Amino acid sequence: MNAFIDFITGPMVWISFLIFFAGVFIRVFRLAQEANSKEKFMFSYFSWKYSLRSIFAWLVPFLPASTRQSPVFWGISYLFHLLLFMVPIFLLSHIVLLEESLGWSWISLNDSIADVLTVLVILALVFFAVRRLNVPEVKFLTRSSDYLFILIVALPFLTGFLAYHQFFFYRTMVIIHILTGELMLILIPFTRFFHMFLAPISRAYTGSEFGNVRQARDW
Amino acid sequence: MQDSTIENKDSVKTDVIDEAVERGLERLTPERIAGVINQVLAKETGARFKTYIDTCMRCGLCADACSFFLSNDRDPKFSPAAKVKQTLTEMLEKRGNVSKDFLKNMVRIAHTECNVCKRCSMYCPFGIDIAYMMLTVRRICHKLEITPLYIQDTVNSHSATMNQMWVKEDEWIDTLQWQEEDAREEFEDLRIPLDKDGADIMYSVIAPEPKFQAGLIYQTAVIMHAAGVNWTMPSNPGWDNSNMAMFTGDFEISGRLAKAHYEAAADLHVNRIVMGECGHAFRSVYDVGNRWAGWRMPPIELVHAIDFFHELLTTGRIKVKEKYKKSVTLHDPCNVSRGRGLHDKAREVVNLLCDNFIEMTPNKEHNFCCGAGGGVINCGPPYKTTRMINNRVKKEQLEQTGAEVLIAPCHNCHSGLEDITHHYGVDMEIKFFGDIIYEVMEKTIYQGGV
Amino acid sequence: MKTKLLLIIMGFILLLGAIGAYSQDEEIVVMDTSAFENTQRPASVFDHDIHNEMAGLEDDCAICHHVYDGKTLVEGESSEDSYCADCHSLSKTAENDVPLRAAYHKRCKSCHFETNKGPVLCGECHKN
Repeated sequence: MNAFIDFITGPMVWISFLIFFAGVFIRVFRLAQEANSKEKFMFSYFSWKYSLRSIFAWLVPFLPASTRQSPVFWGISYLFHLLLFMVPIFLLSHIVLLEESLGWSWISLNDSIADVLTVLVILALVFFAVRRLNVPEVKFLTRSSDYLFILIVALPFLTGFLAYHQFFFYRTMVIIHILTGELMLILIPFTRFFHMFLAPISRAYTGSEFGNVRQARDW
Repeated sequence: MQDSTIENKDSVKTDVIDEAVERGLERLTPERIAGVINQVLAKETGARFKTYIDTCMRCGLCADACSFFLSNDRDPKFSPAAKVKQTLTEMLEKRGNVSKDFLKNMVRIAHTECNVCKRCSMYCPFGIDIAYMMLTVRRICHKLEITPLYIQDTVNSHSATMNQMWVKEDEWIDTLQWQEEDAREEFEDLRIPLDKDGADIMYSVIAPEPKFQAGLIYQTAVIMHAAGVNWTMPSNPGWDNSNMAMFTGDFEISGRLAKAHYEAAADLHVNRIVMGECGHAFRSVYDVGNRWAGWRMPPIELVHAIDFFHELLTTGRIKVKEKYKKSVTLHDPCNVSRGRGLHDKAREVVNLLCDNFIEMTPNKEHNFCCGAGGGVINCGPPYKTTRMINNRVKKEQLEQTGAEVLIAPCHNCHSGLEDITHHYGVDMEIKFFGDIIYEVMEKTIYQGGV
Repeated sequence: MKTKLLLIIMGFILLLGAIGAYSQDEEIVVMDTSAFENTQRPASVFDHDIHNEMAGLEDDCAICHHVYDGKTLVEGESSEDSYCADCHSLSKTAENDVPLRAAYHKRCKSCHFETNKGPVLCGECHKN
């Protein structure tokens, strides 16, 4: 069993990152290639100034009108996305593993704080699921894959939480935690998790068109 | 009570019979349907389309942006993303193998349940341009020849005459001369200069003006004359800046129209084009048709009436005798506010002309469409009732202002808002900026030198 | 139905926790962590003699109590008389590029992975 754990905490991590980076690169490259061959005009409207203006405007909580219209969703969404990256990156256990393998380390979250933040991430996901089930306009758009996405994101956090507290089936919990974490990373370039990269791109283009051509704000 | 009204609305909507759509559907075979859909989706769309399809997380935030969704008691079918789901998503998943019933719904959704106003791009966290998606659906409708009758007739007119309303060349010139003659009662040497080579400004209008709103040309002539502007209008095709083809997905004709417009201006060697109070026409020559014709931005400076009036008023070329007394509110036309950021200037113009200005909310870039835009009103009488139901929010917005006069610096908005005020019994007079300027201006000729 | 199931699961979790709490040995031997500041996890469970007996390491002290000269291992010498922390400072320095925390983790885990025996996951040593 230790050999298996050695594999999933060692080579598998690199394989996952490799697939992730290669997948992201290939997709973005193909996208740019297609834009270049069929919609070259888009590059002539693209503007760094207005792209960044739009992206930053949308990063400021409650600046865009949409965020003020749905403050609960947006509050939770902003927090969720922040924690989704912050908790795993600044988690002590993760940093310890990195320190052992590469000798890198950086500032870490206090474990008990990370614990609370993990619960917040899980609660946010529960909120998203409940919202999909209950808000008519969201329900109408929702497909079963949307719940699957929520589950895939929830699993590493949930198993991480359970493993940290060592409630039961410790080994199994950690193994599921590691595998689902890697699964999520691998899936990013091939699923709608890719909005992580596409969202800034489409925001940038809309921001460029609004700022450059229409001379209006887009938030 | 609630249920019965919703039922009624649905029955009103399904009862609509559009002959062009019906006949068009009869002609279609499954092979042709799939062929056209796949051609457009595979060949005419690219990275942008794919990105929009793949990025949408179905969060539903676009719903609250849409006047159709809000006017229909938050019916989930009307959210912008739902319109994509009911049209493009299904076509993509079925690889174009869709039924005629599906197509019938698709025409209704894309042509009459979306004003392509782009308000949802401002509520989508990713800025997904659903207007572009709906225009892609309309492109498919166009290629399947199931475009609604009335708007298709308009496009046919564009195609045959280069103007929107089958206005013949002699009719056009005749109308201008008739308005010139009438206006000479106010200024004895007033001219509507036709084809004046090297004039400073070419003034362009949409075809409904000569067709049945010639008084607007009269007013403009008076304003131009009083302001001492060196202007002209072309006698040849190209004088009409309107463009319904851009809303039916007939991009070829749409591009031809914009090209003809700019070529008319180039032939006259003018410095800039000033256009009348119209929104979609501005979008056509400023943002859409020019691109098809190969110009990144307008090849000749293009000025919307709001901008131009602002200039005349702030430079003193037009002087206000006495400010307008009635309480006014302003409707921001999508295509010049969200489409060109002229909302602040529009407010300055209102305040230069009127004493009592009441804001309508939401406004500026966040305005609601009049419900007529994006070619929806041009789909004609069969869809009028649904159009009224579909823009209840505008009526509520209008009522909240309590203003006596509504300024709408756009032709489409004018017609759409007139329908709304009549349908819902809102007591409000609708005016163009031109109407108000004509009323309050000093009728003397500017002497500052040209 | 769903709430019932949830209650049963929650009861099960509580029961497991309780069993864990009561079954703990009173004489658990743990690592001396006095060299660390702000420890976040419980000290590792480690009984020196039992560990070595089970691992068959009675005569091979230098595996853990090694001596390094710079980056090279000094063969045949051992360091039972000193603490890990004597050489492995808390953070990297010129003399030591394996910080104390990493030294512990690497020392234990590398053997456990090699021999495919013993604890390798956080909570298997740092027991709550």
